[in-house]
Amino acid sequence: MELMNKLLPQDQLEAFRAKAAAIKHPRELIVDLLRAIQDHHGWVPDAGVELAGSILGLSVLQIEEIATFYDKIYRQPVGRKVIHVCDSICCWSRDGEHVYDYLQQKLGIAPGQTTADGVFTLLPTCCLGACGDAPAMMIGLTTYGRLTPELVDAILNKEKA
Amino acid sequence: MPTLTIDNQKVTVPDGSNVLEAAKRIGIVIPHFCYHEALGAVGACRLCAMKFSEGPVKGIQMSCMVPAQDGMVVSTVDQDAQELRAHVIEWLMMNHPHDCPVCDEGGECQLQDMTIAGGHGIRRYRGPKRTWINQELGPFVEQEMNRCIQCYRCVRTYQDYCGGTDFGVMGSRNRLFFGRFRDGRLESPFAGNIIDACPTGVFTSKPFRFKTRYWDLEEAPSICPHCSLGCAVVPGGRYREAQRVRGGINRKTNGFFICDRGRFAIDHLNHPDRPREPRWKGERTSWDDILERSRICLQQVATQYGPESIAFLGSPRASLEANWLLSRLAGSIGSSRLVYDCQARRDRTARSLAAQLGQRARSLEDIRQSDCLVLLGSDPLGEAPVLALALRQAARKGALVAVIDPRPVKLPCDAVHLPLHPGRLSQVMEFLGSGMPAASFSRQQLTILEGIRERLQRAAKPILIGGADLLGPAGVTQLFQTATSLPTNEQECGIFVPLAGPNSFSGALLAKDNDDFNSLLDDVLAGKVKALVCLENDPVTDHPERIATALGALEFLLVMDHIPNRAAKQADAFLPTTGWAEAAGSYVNNEGRMLAVAAAFEPGLPIRETGGGNYPPRQFESVTPGSLPQAAWQLLAELQELDLNLHTIHVELEAADPRFTGLSLLAPEHEGVRVRGSGQLPPATEAGFKSSGDTADLTLLVVDGLYGSERLSSFSATLQAVTEAPQLLVHPDLACRLQLSDGETVTLRTELDNVRLTLKVDPHMVDGLAITTRLYGTPLEQFASGSQVPCRIDKGGET
Amino acid sequence: MADYPQILFKNRRPGETVFFDEFRKNGGYRGLERALKSMTPAEVRETVKASGLRGRGGAGFSTGLKWSFFPADQPGTKYLVVNGDEMEPGTYKDKQLLLADPHQVLEGVIVSAYALQVPEAYIFIRYAYEECSRNLERAIEEAKQAGYLGPDILGSGYGLQVHVHRSAGRYILGEETSQLNGIEGVRANPRSKPPFPAVKGLFGKPTTVNNIETVANVPHILTGGSEWFKDLAVNPEGSGTKLFGLSGHLERTECFELPVGIPLREVLEIGGGMRGGKGFKACLPGGASTPYLTAAHLDVALDFDPLAAVGSRFGTAGVTAFDSDTCMVGATLNLMKFFARESCGWCTPCRDGLVMVRWLLEEIEAGRGSRELIAMLRDQHKNIAGRSFCALAEGAMGPLEGLLNHFEDELEDHVKKGYCPFKG
Ligand SMILES: Cc1cc2nc3c(=O)[nH]c(=O)nc-3n(C[C@H](O)[C@H](O)[C@H](O)COP(=O)(O)O)c2cc1C
Ligand code: SF4
Ligand code: FES
Repeated sequence: MELMNKLLPQDQLEAFRAKAAAIKHPRELIVDLLRAIQDHHGWVPDAGVELAGSILGLSVLQIEEIATFYDKIYRQPVGRKVIHVCDSICCWSRDGEHVYDYLQQKLGIAPGQTTADGVFTLLPTCCLGACGDAPAMMIGLTTYGRLTPELVDAILNKEKA
Repeated sequence: MPTLTIDNQKVTVPDGSNVLEAAKRIGIVIPHFCYHEALGAVGACRLCAMKFSEGPVKGIQMSCMVPAQDGMVVSTVDQDAQELRAHVIEWLMMNHPHDCPVCDEGGECQLQDMTIAGGHGIRRYRGPKRTWINQELGPFVEQEMNRCIQCYRCVRTYQDYCGGTDFGVMGSRNRLFFGRFRDGRLESPFAGNIIDACPTGVFTSKPFRFKTRYWDLEEAPSICPHCSLGCAVVPGGRYREAQRVRGGINRKTNGFFICDRGRFAIDHLNHPDRPREPRWKGERTSWDDILERSRICLQQVATQYGPESIAFLGSPRASLEANWLLSRLAGSIGSSRLVYDCQARRDRTARSLAAQLGQRARSLEDIRQSDCLVLLGSDPLGEAPVLALALRQAARKGALVAVIDPRPVKLPCDAVHLPLHPGRLSQVMEFLGSGMPAASFSRQQLTILEGIRERLQRAAKPILIGGADLLGPAGVTQLFQTATSLPTNEQECGIFVPLAGPNSFSGALLAKDNDDFNSLLDDVLAGKVKALVCLENDPVTDHPERIATALGALEFLLVMDHIPNRAAKQADAFLPTTGWAEAAGSYVNNEGRMLAVAAAFEPGLPIRETGGGNYPPRQFESVTPGSLPQAAWQLLAELQELDLNLHTIHVELEAADPRFTGLSLLAPEHEGVRVRGSGQLPPATEAGFKSSGDTADLTLLVVDGLYGSERLSSFSATLQAVTEAPQLLVHPDLACRLQLSDGETVTLRTELDNVRLTLKVDPHMVDGLAITTRLYGTPLEQFASGSQVPCRIDKGGET
Repeated sequence: MADYPQILFKNRRPGETVFFDEFRKNGGYRGLERALKSMTPAEVRETVKASGLRGRGGAGFSTGLKWSFFPADQPGTKYLVVNGDEMEPGTYKDKQLLLADPHQVLEGVIVSAYALQVPEAYIFIRYAYEECSRNLERAIEEAKQAGYLGPDILGSGYGLQVHVHRSAGRYILGEETSQLNGIEGVRANPRSKPPFPAVKGLFGKPTTVNNIETVANVPHILTGGSEWFKDLAVNPEGSGTKLFGLSGHLERTECFELPVGIPLREVLEIGGGMRGGKGFKACLPGGASTPYLTAAHLDVALDFDPLAAVGSRFGTAGVTAFDSDTCMVGATLNLMKFFARESCGWCTPCRDGLVMVRWLLEEIEAGRGSRELIAMLRDQHKNIAGRSFCALAEGAMGPLEGLLNHFEDELEDHVKKGYCPFKG
């Protein structure tokens, strides 16, 4: 039970159970459910996949097939906040690579790693739809554009808090 | 039937076939990976490219995705098409480890063939390869993901066709992993099919691993002997060791896939205790000697006590030829004491089916095409696993699958399940036929049954599937009455009843109206029978009741078999026979379909044993060790001093018994022909389990399970590893009344024995009944499958 | 440039979102009222067809024609799916609509749903657009309150239910059939066509998939009339306005609403020309999957047919411009990394072929190239273009095609020099 609530708050758990029972195609809820678990727990551990399966009446494999298809579902531990740096064409054209490098030095981690204090995980991402504000990155669900080293510093300080 | 032109040749194909198939028809085989006749076309691999110049689609197209249409003009040799195929192969090989020398698939690898066919030689790509850590998938299947070419066949086989949910595809882009959520045994009873489906060496057979190169393997088309369905399989062996079985193709029966029981049971041929020498009263002797002595003994008994004093026991697992020569022997001696199954109930049920089946016979293919299937007292996974697979294919097309059964029947598809006591199946059939509900039905039960009956009436191709063990002879007869009285549909209602063994049906035909094994035992004990000839049958194991005394009372016992046979221990004459895959012959499956099998390899002691693993072996003999066994039909011919070969047997059999017309024309791999005409019923008896009902407060139902309930496969070490310890199933309410709880050890007390079992509480079964699986090698083997035994269940394990 | 008519951006003020009251005040939901009160669904479909509106999602298929294939009058479950995946690099226009004016999009959804007589619609929003999803959900609530959404809209007897589906990040989900799988909760590989979604779509039921911007246009067409809409375009064959998302080396990388058919030269001017006064070298005219245009194309009218005529595509009108210092091999390599990474993994030319192309470009860009590798690039292009299962790999070949047609000299130069001339 505690484990379950570490993955998903009781009220959400019940809401999903009720919805799954009510709708014709419970599978519809897989992404919502995985995202909810991720929002609450930070990432989706095996137990999260198992929970999703038990709520939707699907096998763990059936959940995993979907979880591993998307790149914003984290099946490995990540820091409290995930920094997604856009590496697609518009950001590339506006020195996105330098922003990426700067973040790596600043945080002292390589892409895919998490800072020692467990706050940030650094990952690349494809186009964020911020092409007009390139170079851009997304922290959690907030997108930041027109990045410069100074701006990055400011943002990191704000997000740390 | 569209007609199109492929490489300047006209070809006419059935509606709905695609252009890739059309080309195949005229012998043009274009490389392809993702297309599979049973799995369909998905257009993923992009290998089957052809150039279309006339017709609705033009240019380079994937031929598997284009339905053949009139007037199409297609080229398979077009430059661009060939160039694309070469590129697809090159792409597929980018990550391949090139480890053919250590890959079990080598030689039967579609990727090897297609790579040659596609003209790919040198890898130009020099970038990094993606690699994987493999999973441990259990005792059946070995995984080597680095060889994967992402054709998705395994998933489509495992999930879509077989209904498994624990294996699939994870990841995306060029990082696709085909496996399980985490290490562990593949749960589907059809898991082994991914070995056949995989076009390269990602999934290979674990028991067969590193044993033999494909081109060194002695293979031949055969029929699976582990149930009555007659699935096509291909056994293979080498160094006198039976090594593997792969699925064969018969579009009328199994289609392309088989079950894991059939695939991993072959060890029985290599069993260390397999008797391989002729023995007279336990002493090894020569063939000439033992055949001579046997003839003389049979002579003496016949002259001294009369021909009827010699009884004959055929077998559901012996070949049709052997079973027929046995009846011929009986005939030549003049005895009518001839039975083909020592379990009287199964014998009578088979004969009841063979006597009435006629036009209502249906094949597994008919089941796959049916739109309404009602199972009465039948648990496919236990009695005929591939039937479950056929049901799934029907269900996928929207057919209703309804199961009326006391057991918590598990199927790989959605099904309506109504748990009822076996005793009430008769009421259910009564209702389905007449619409007259028995008073005892609850409202809820009635609504379910009405729903089923309504669908049956609307259905275009309805089929009633009966369980031989639960219905028994009377039940099967009522099944036919039900089918007959069903208000007729487009197509009259079909019948499908799995039987005990691969040749139960021919036994039922050959048994004429003879009495059953129980009465035969009466006669033995009454001193009317003095000699018994057992053909590949073991009454001591399969009909323990009274058998010891009976065998003791005999003057002459002759046993032929190829597995450790308990009756053989008491036999005066023991004649070792060739096992399955060691001799050609025929089977008649449960729908009366005659099927031919070829011999794959010679009998012999595996070199693994004689040479202790070394090759060549260190000691030499003039005869191949363990090669003495002869085909049962041969021995029976020699006993009668007949000079016969399989062909002459077939011709004479057809002449003697026109029901088998067509046998002589059958070849292995042929889809088979139905027998003509039906069998006869045995003399009536008061059926039912004779029980001294006293101490009993409860009934035990003994049934067949997926593994361990079929004699030959029960010898397979591979399957023993996955056979569950026997459990005792009860409904939660019963458990509550008995104050027992799930998982606890109980003692099952019956008049035959006391057995320690683990209690399993299952809400999906009927109340008021305890169910267990008949497992060879456990005390439970003493109960005939389908028998209902008075029993008591006590807490705790002290027996 | 402000004198170009602003239709979709009428209510747009940077950094602000217009909700119900203001939207109503500025004439919102008129199109919906007109449709439900005075037009039959067939009339709505006819008007849209007559307006010449073409899909804004990239393929540019005539919306009216697409709707005419839809069994609108056939009873039973049917769906409208509105595509807000917008993950094609260089494309950020739908986001502007959803940030500025969610009700306008919602009105479009409702009117389109009415035209198609579907009882249920899904709006599919990409992971990175959480704010857009929230705006839509609020708009849906407000519309329900006001009776513009629900079981019986404005007493017309027509009812509609609208769901917002949040994705979890994968470009392929923008492809309509993958999107249907994504909503159903199965692996989002594309489906083969036929059967087309109009016949067998979401949950196996007839479905139409339309882009956010496409449906946003529909109410305006009804209020303004199809002729008015046609005349908004400045080229004869075109119709309507288009949201142009400018990006890359332009001075003003913003999203503008401009008439369809406007010449490239003018768009670049509106974008303030190249940053730092540099020269214009090339641009992606309509997102990452469209072949490059060069200085030779400055006068091409930006519309579907004219761009097709010069071997490129209008796509999503996300114009990404590159200045004279840009290494086009490097740019194309970046795009190829994107496409290879976003491949769904279903078919071989894309899953593995794009990795091959990416590797070839890496080698050449790193100065390890050779004539053989350039020749290989060509034959990869020949055998991937038009050979993949869906249009993703097809799109990936767009920029490669542009590179091979217009910038072969740069490829050669990399090979000759043995390093990237632009990195010096
Ligand atoms: C790889 C790929 C990605 C796509 N992404 C989008 C997208 O993000 N948004 C969109 O509206 N259409 C996208 N499309 C086009 C859709 O498949 C579909 O044509 C479009 O949504 C139809 O709407 P429309 O006719 O209104 O343009 C994509 C197509 C492909 C092949
Ligand atoms: S082209 Fe093939 S692999 Fe690529 S996205 Fe489409 S279907 Fe998937
Ligand atoms: S390319 Fe970076 S946001 Fe679009």
